[in-house]
Amino acid sequence: MIEIRALTKSVPTSEGTLTILKSVNLEIAESEIVAIVGASGSGKSTLLGLMAGLDAATSGDVLLGGHSLAAMDEEQRAVLRGQIVGFVFQSFQLLPSLTALENVMLPIELKGDSEARAKATALLERVGLGERITHYPNQLSGGEQQRVAIARAFATEAKILFADEPTGNLDTATGAKIIELIFDLNKEFATTLVLVTHDERLAQRCGRIVRLVAGEIVND
Amino acid sequence: MTNSGTYSAHSAIDIPLGDGRKSLGTLLGLATRLLWRDWRSGELRLLFLALVMAVASVSGIALFTDRLEKALLLESANMLAADRVLGSGRALPEEILDEAKGRGLRTARTLSFTSMAFSDAGNMLVSAKAVSAAYPLRGDIIIADAPFVRGTPIQRGPQPGEVWLESRALPALGIDVGDSVYVGEAEFELTKIIIAEPDRSGGGMVDNAGPRLMLHMDDVERTNVVQMGSRVSYRFLFSSEELLQLDEFEAWIDDAYEGEYRLRDVRDESEEVSEALNRAESFLLLGSLFAVLLAGVAIALTAKRYSERHYDYVAILKTFGCTSAQIGFIYLWIQALLAVAAVIVGSLLGWGVHHVILRALQAVISVDLPSASFEPFIVGALTAVICLLSFALPPLLALRETPPLRVLRKDISQQRIGANIPYLFGVGGTIGLVYWYSEDFVLTSVLVIAVASIAILLSGLSFLLLSSSGAIGMRAGSAWKLAMSAARRRRKQNVLQVMVFSVTIMSLLILGLLRSDLIADWQAQLPENTPNHFLMNISQPQVAGIEEFFDEKGVQGNAFYPLISARVLSINGELPDPQDELEADEDNSTVARGSDTGAEEEGAEEPEEGQVRGRLSRRQVTWAEEIPADNRILAGEWWGESAAAGFVSIEEDYAEWLGIELGDSIEFEISAQTITAEVSSFRSVRWDNMQPNFYIIFSPGTIDHLGATFLSTVLMEREQKILLNELVQRFPTIVVIEIDALIEQIQNIIAQVTSAIELISVLVLICGALVLLACVNATLDERFYENAILRTLGGGKRLIMTSLLIEFASIGFLAGLVATLGAEASLYYLQEKLFGQDFHLHYWVWVAGPLLGTLVIAGLGINSTRGVVSISPLNVLRRLN
Ligand SMILES: Nc1ncnc2c1ncn2[C@@H]1O[C@H](COP(=O)(O)OP(=O)(O)OP(=O)(O)O)[C@@H](O)[C@H]1O
Ligand SMILES: [Mg+2]
Repeated sequence: MIEIRALTKSVPTSEGTLTILKSVNLEIAESEIVAIVGASGSGKSTLLGLMAGLDAATSGDVLLGGHSLAAMDEEQRAVLRGQIVGFVFQSFQLLPSLTALENVMLPIELKGDSEARAKATALLERVGLGERITHYPNQLSGGEQQRVAIARAFATEAKILFADEPTGNLDTATGAKIIELIFDLNKEFATTLVLVTHDERLAQRCGRIVRLVAGEIVND
Repeated sequence: MTNSGTYSAHSAIDIPLGDGRKSLGTLLGLATRLLWRDWRSGELRLLFLALVMAVASVSGIALFTDRLEKALLLESANMLAADRVLGSGRALPEEILDEAKGRGLRTARTLSFTSMAFSDAGNMLVSAKAVSAAYPLRGDIIIADAPFVRGTPIQRGPQPGEVWLESRALPALGIDVGDSVYVGEAEFELTKIIIAEPDRSGGGMVDNAGPRLMLHMDDVERTNVVQMGSRVSYRFLFSSEELLQLDEFEAWIDDAYEGEYRLRDVRDESEEVSEALNRAESFLLLGSLFAVLLAGVAIALTAKRYSERHYDYVAILKTFGCTSAQIGFIYLWIQALLAVAAVIVGSLLGWGVHHVILRALQAVISVDLPSASFEPFIVGALTAVICLLSFALPPLLALRETPPLRVLRKDISQQRIGANIPYLFGVGGTIGLVYWYSEDFVLTSVLVIAVASIAILLSGLSFLLLSSSGAIGMRAGSAWKLAMSAARRRRKQNVLQVMVFSVTIMSLLILGLLRSDLIADWQAQLPENTPNHFLMNISQPQVAGIEEFFDEKGVQGNAFYPLISARVLSINGELPDPQDELEADEDNSTVARGSDTGAEEEGAEEPEEGQVRGRLSRRQVTWAEEIPADNRILAGEWWGESAAAGFVSIEEDYAEWLGIELGDSIEFEISAQTITAEVSSFRSVRWDNMQPNFYIIFSPGTIDHLGATFLSTVLMEREQKILLNELVQRFPTIVVIEIDALIEQIQNIIAQVTSAIELISVLVLICGALVLLACVNATLDERFYENAILRTLGGGKRLIMTSLLIEFASIGFLAGLVATLGAEASLYYLQEKLFGQDFHLHYWVWVAGPLLGTLVIAGLGINSTRGVVSISPLNVLRRLN
């Protein structure tokens, strides 16, 4: 499903070029659940972003669902993202000016699906927020916001779900509930799940753990 | 699924991809929904408000200006009795009249000539004027049944067989209304007295030879007075409600007669009116320019804020598969919808605004305003679109470039478009707009230079301020410390804010000061007690008698100027060699110079001669002990008390025209004698004050012996005019020229222009207030956030309010100071170059400007941020998410 070949990412900084990822190779199969762990600053988010086609690599390639990202420009990657990728972020990334329902509807609307409202409502009910669909993000708690974000991630029926520390901003109990939700939905939709986390217990529950140290995979 | 392990595009895990194209309907629907959601959440309201304000103020002001300009032209057209006039000393081709009629213009004709009028009791030289039935095309003739009374308006001239006379002809002829008057071989019945005639001031020499006698055009032949070679002035009058028709007709005449005939309008006719109109137009233009500028600033501010708040939005959209092109399309569509809505609402509002103004103006504007054209709405709409394109498009386009990675790393924002590109766009857009709007290089450059210098000045000032504020903060209380560190933190933002504030305050100061200077200038030009009658042809022995007469009747008399006709023969023994230009006023006696008809009329008699090298036209000259009021010495010295004979003072332009230097010896021909005098000074003369003005003034004793008649002026109210009768009876040889109607006409026009100017100032003031508000609001979020944090950290209400007050007040003070500087500099340029005024510093503004800035900005700022301390910090933090 995802195939990473000699992926390198370096960025120019004031002190010269900083190489964040050093020739990373990785394969992830369909429906696999993979946790990426590592110290802060080890390059987890960078790797996730590259895998999801949110950024272009310096060298190497990512094949996402058989499509080479290196050969694509941002426009083509956007099309790819829209069709096969879903996201959950540490900081939720809900749009403050939209209600919970509208936030979930947005990606469905983007696909031109006329049943956006019905689908979004069903998903929000599924994540237990059926009563709160007209609320704005700032009227919801962190956990509730993350549940909206999860509903939004699954709204597009994506083949691959990327989650960057989805519980990072939540307390342990809430975090656990969120993880349950992600795993449940993951099973339901049969998605491939790539999860960045600091939480060792969470990582243990995943089928596979990839450990990053200073931009290199040391343990798979 | 098995791992293919190969690099094949056909591996088993391939997921087929659509082309990602979204149907137009999907995108439009999405964009419209986004627009609606943004609107609902208040995100768009400020931008929309700014746009509406731009359209409303520009279209409102343009509408008002458009109609007012037409009205002013119409009102002043009364002075011509027509919109356009064609005049000549020879008979005019009839085809011109036919062509005008064919084009649907209204036409009339007049014929002026001097003639003797006889009665059974006496005779008198009169300025006769025959008019066709349609005369006057504009304005009214004021007639009465008795001389020297108020009279009533009428829109036609005398019928065949009738004559109308001016009041002062009656005592001289010894007749009354109903008696017979003879002109040439024809007998007429005197049926009405002419109190005022619309184009009385517009005539030439033949119209000033004596009191007016008006008759019907069809009677001219009967009199048999007008023959080949007699001095006659032919005039064709034209008018139309369509300006375009007149312009086309004018072009036709130019074309058909190869420039031999030239149509004249009121601007050619009266320098005072033309200047007042020009200044008013410039002012109105300036006013609407500032409105555009301010609206543009408001749009720039709000658009920038809007797009900043949309970076996350775009990043999410991109994460979910929106391409840049689609993002661009979505935001363009949002803008288009916004623009259309703003143009509709703004135009309606603008129409309302101009109606409110008209209501307020009804008392002052006596004429019916012509209906508005559609153009102002187009101007308003175009302004909105251009503002939007130059101010809002760049930041919104920058959104396209927002990298989707922003969802993972907040610090990443658009990098491809430099942060300053939007400003460059905005600046370019503004300059373009201002130029397009004014088509005036001076105005455009003043605005650009003023704003640019403010920007430079501010960068320097803020640098100084911020490096010194640390030291102040050390010593001062904690509120100061807080305010200063806040000011430092928001340094870039604050500089921008001060810039916006100072541009706004500067615009208001410029308009305000210009307004009061213009009005003061006009009041000085024609003060309430301007003498409104000229007495001429007074002989030396009569002077004392006339003075006595005025004393006796309680009328305010004025100085008597000797008047004598002179011609420059040589300068330093050489023939004068005037610069190419014929003296501009030679044959078009303007109101200004027409008022001292005596001083000019000789010149008008021989217009051709001005062009002949070495032989200049005659001028009426005078001698005086004291320099006339309103004259100023520019070079040399005025002779003092002990004036020696043999000196002469020359008007500056005349001197320049002839290339005269101080100390030159000039030879004059006066009364067939040759007089030589040395040039001792150059003077500036205020030609527009409707008082006797002279190009050439001799020192006493130089030409006194040559015999002169005297000229004086007097102020007579309407009810005093009956005294003229007695005056003329007692001194039958003197000539009275009544310019009271003319002065009143001009004062009236100036009053209307004044109120127009006042209103535009108020309108722009409102625009400015809105911009200030938008600017304060634009930085509100951050202040809210910071202060909420301060409060969670234990900052008290008082501390925060005081620090906010200090911060805003400092910004306001700085803005006020810079605005004052900018305003004075711009005014210098504007007044000297565009308005033809003398610039002088406005000292009080140097205090009032900074004070005003401090008070207004502190007030607005505190009012807007009061919420910071009254809402609980938690709510503020949540609200800002
Ligand atoms: N655009 C960039 N410019 C400069 N440095 C960058 C950029 N992107 C990432 N980095 C640096 O690369 C390193 C890896 O960043 P990354 O966000 O991938 O770490 P991470 O493993 O996700 O850390 P954390 O667990 O704290 O989220 C960091 O040191 C970061 O500062
Ligand atoms: Mg990270």
